[in-house]
Amino acid sequence: MNTNSDYTPSELMAVAGARELQDRQVVAVGLGLPVVASFLAKKTHAPNMTILFELGVIDPEPIHPGVGLADPRVWYRAKSLSSFVDILGTILHNNRVDVGFLGGLEVDQYGNLNTTLVGDPRGEFRHMIGSGGANDIASCAKRTIIIMRHEARKLKKTISFITSPGYLNGGASRAQTGLQGGPSRVITDKAILGFHPETKQMMLISIHPGNTLEDVLATMGFAPIVPSQVPTTEPPEKEQIRLIREVVDPLKMYMG
Amino acid sequence: MSKVTTLAEAVASISSGAHLALSGFAITRCTMAFAREVIRQGIKELTVSQCVGAMDADLLVGAGAVERIVYGGGSLDRFGRLACVNRGIENGSLQAEEYSSLSVAFRYLAGSLGLPFIPIKSLRGSDLMRQIQERTGSNVGTVTDPFTGDDWPVLKPLLPDVAVVQVQVSDEEGNAWIMGPRWDNVEQVKASKRTIVITEQVVPVELISRNPEWTVIPSLLVSNVVELPFAAHPTSMYRVYDYDAGQIENYVKANSSPETFKAYLDEYIYGVKDHWEYLERIGGMKHLNNLRADPILGY
Repeated sequence: MNTNSDYTPSELMAVAGARELQDRQVVAVGLGLPVVASFLAKKTHAPNMTILFELGVIDPEPIHPGVGLADPRVWYRAKSLSSFVDILGTILHNNRVDVGFLGGLEVDQYGNLNTTLVGDPRGEFRHMIGSGGANDIASCAKRTIIIMRHEARKLKKTISFITSPGYLNGGASRAQTGLQGGPSRVITDKAILGFHPETKQMMLISIHPGNTLEDVLATMGFAPIVPSQVPTTEPPEKEQIRLIREVVDPLKMYMG
Repeated sequence: MSKVTTLAEAVASISSGAHLALSGFAITRCTMAFAREVIRQGIKELTVSQCVGAMDADLLVGAGAVERIVYGGGSLDRFGRLACVNRGIENGSLQAEEYSSLSVAFRYLAGSLGLPFIPIKSLRGSDLMRQIQERTGSNVGTVTDPFTGDDWPVLKPLLPDVAVVQVQVSDEEGNAWIMGPRWDNVEQVKASKRTIVITEQVVPVELISRNPEWTVIPSLLVSNVVELPFAAHPTSMYRVYDYDAGQIENYVKANSSPETFKAYLDEYIYGVKDHWEYLERIGGMKHLNNLRADPILGY
């Protein structure tokens, strides 16, 4: 069944992200798809959710898309404008963030993220964006959701640099370093994955409509745990797609 | 006592080898006019620090003024990468101490409070932690909480020589307001030995005294006040002017290679006498007027 005429893979990712969020939760967000997912949730089932941007922004209501967190367009009608120490310190570090949204250039089978050093085909490493608040969110949020493209060069068995910790070497290794939480979902444009409760290996949760198990596995750099039954991801509702296109991201700044 | 001085004099007070905390965040409130004057005066071997790397640091690095950067990663948002910083790290010409946003903020916070170290949850288990240990040896450690017995990573305070902060409003003594989010700026100022305030406008102390709750930088921390409009150009100044997308795109084309970057420096820094000539070079008042912020939107 090809449903791509009704919505794009990016739109499904944003809707899947929104569905992970609950009303009254406190959510730390980076720019891109997580912004679309968070604003969509707030405009639908989670009106009392709190959205945080690391540099000091709480609950903005932007009416113009921004080029990044540094763009005053995404601060518009915020309820508070403060600082890193306020948002990442008194709220995140003080255990008040329920969900952190993270993107990454590479993720490994334990949900560790690399945004620092990425190898090119010649074996040389390029220095990328680094952490920003990502390491802090991955370390301190009660749980994190990772959103990224489903490609073998991004979903890798091992990554060259752990910028932001997932479950480290799996099992109890994250808890042993003194960190709570950890990634709960990886949302890609082909599937939703979770983590095995004991081994912390990545595990297939659902496959998006129009994709096959074979293709999902063939485009990953490692083999996730595959349960005997893998359901199809629930497609977006018409109203969710309308909100994304007309209200949340009308200029397609985030959905591309 | 008035601390108002020229940009050239304020920059001349900085010695080569100093540690500067810069107020930029990606493409907003960056200390651009200051960085351009540092480059013109040939000040070198600087350490620059900021929680999130920004255009001011990238420009200084690209011009060869920086020996070491202490930061939490960064970019020019959708416009592009901090290509000069990245290239310096890749080819080894730039020493980088790379953290997360909160780690750098906590290092400033410890410095601002006069604390010997600060515990943090972040960095555990990551290669950032391993790399900081390898590269600095001594800027992270572990202490045991005397109350619970838990082990905690601790960071050293960050104590810059000079904080350089772009603000919208200051009086002549340096009582300054920052409109919009302040990211790390207040902790930077309070951790530093002294602060240079670069303000869009110097206002009478009477205006400050009538609205003292707005003051986030008190004058006792400030050594110099420089009044200079559009000093953050091409980055934005919330409620005063928007970023200049065309000029940032121009910069991003230039910073992709040392050769094109040299041409950029020649045109916009070495090829102009001062900030006023720079503003003429990029299009003058007619162009800048298009960047003015809408008073309701703030951009």
